Amino acid sequence: MKLIQKVQVKNMMGLHTRPATAIVKMLQNSKCDVSFTYKKATINAKSILSILMLAARKNSKITITVEGSDADATMEKLLIAFENEFGE
Amino acid sequence: MYLVEDLYKQHGERLGLELVAGKSGMKRRIKVPEAHRPGLALAGYLKSHAGKRITIFGKVEIEYLRDLAPPVRVKCLNDILSTPTPAVIVARRYRPPKELMSLCEKHAIPLFRASMTTMNLLSKLTLLLTEEFAPSMSCHGTLVEVFGVGVLIQGDSSVGKSEAALGLIERGHRLISDDIVKVKKRESSYLEGFGAELTRHHMEIRGIGIINVAHLYGAVCVRDNKSIDIVVKLETWDDQNFYDRVGLDEKYCDMLGVKLPFHILPVKPGRDVVLLLETIALNHRLKGMGYNSAKEFNAKLLNMIATKTKRN
Repeated sequence: MKLIQKVQVKNMMGLHTRPATAIVKMLQNSKCDVSFTYKKATINAKSILSILMLAARKNSKITITVEGSDADATMEKLLIAFENEFGE
Repeated sequence: MYLVEDLYKQHGERLGLELVAGKSGMKRRIKVPEAHRPGLALAGYLKSHAGKRITIFGKVEIEYLRDLAPPVRVKCLNDILSTPTPAVIVARRYRPPKELMSLCEKHAIPLFRASMTTMNLLSKLTLLLTEEFAPSMSCHGTLVEVFGVGVLIQGDSSVGKSEAALGLIERGHRLISDDIVKVKKRESSYLEGFGAELTRHHMEIRGIGIINVAHLYGAVCVRDNKSIDIVVKLETWDDQNFYDRVGLDEKYCDMLGVKLPFHILPVKPGRDVVLLLETIALNHRLKGMGYNSAKEFNAKLLNMIATKTKRN
């Protein structure tokens, strides 16, 4: 199953090291392939350096693509995390 | 989408460009990585005129325009500039005729002056444009230079790509990029890999965190870019899978239309991945020198069987 959704970064400092760590930690046990697309660059969301490379600012829009067996649950978790500003 | 503005910002200084007229047209799109001298088109022959290219006026064109009567000059220039040409460049710092300036303003075509000679400008510009228009992609993996061979290590997350790369660096090989590698096709025949500006020379190792390899191991251990010569995919050992045991059949993978030798390297405790990667790179070099270990061995074996059959 493949899901695509657009989210907005709400964190003040953008997608910096802590949120990136939170994302990778969350996806660690997910069986899905998760990728983020931002400004033409598509990256693997399970790699911290790749997420950091995006250097996404506050309010930037990121397209999340989730593909795999537990796509539904993974996408939901990601959306909530983005909404909660990764607990910051 | 590549605009005249991008060309001016990125390479304007290198080409010595100076904007003289048509500033409103800076957002014009460059559709083909080509530039040309108008030549015949200037004389009025417009059949098959490649209007999408950047137009360059050299010494001959400027002198020809000077010789024309002003009304003819306007007509000729108007014919050329009514095409979708992205920009006009006058070489050798010639002062552009005022008709050219006013027509460029009218059609909103940026007009530049350059100090280089026409041929020099033409070749430099073509080179830069071809580079900008080269197909590119980014892929998940780690690019290292091992004994001069560019090895792209791929594989799933946490299979040990970064650890293998770190081991290689420790042995004196070089890191180009970890985790994300940007790939560009060069001269439509080979691939070049480089790292992203921000994460270049950084690695993420589980249990340690983000490290800067250039600082830890010194400048000798990093490189900005390298051609990709082979692709190695690390895989967790699967007992059901039959891995290559002989190496007679060569596998290839396709990246941006370029065929690259491809190896699958199973990983399990006790297998020294660093040593194996070094061996793959050395074997690749040996093949490049015309020696294929597997084929040579097979030939020797066939020879021995043949002599035995004769004896019997």
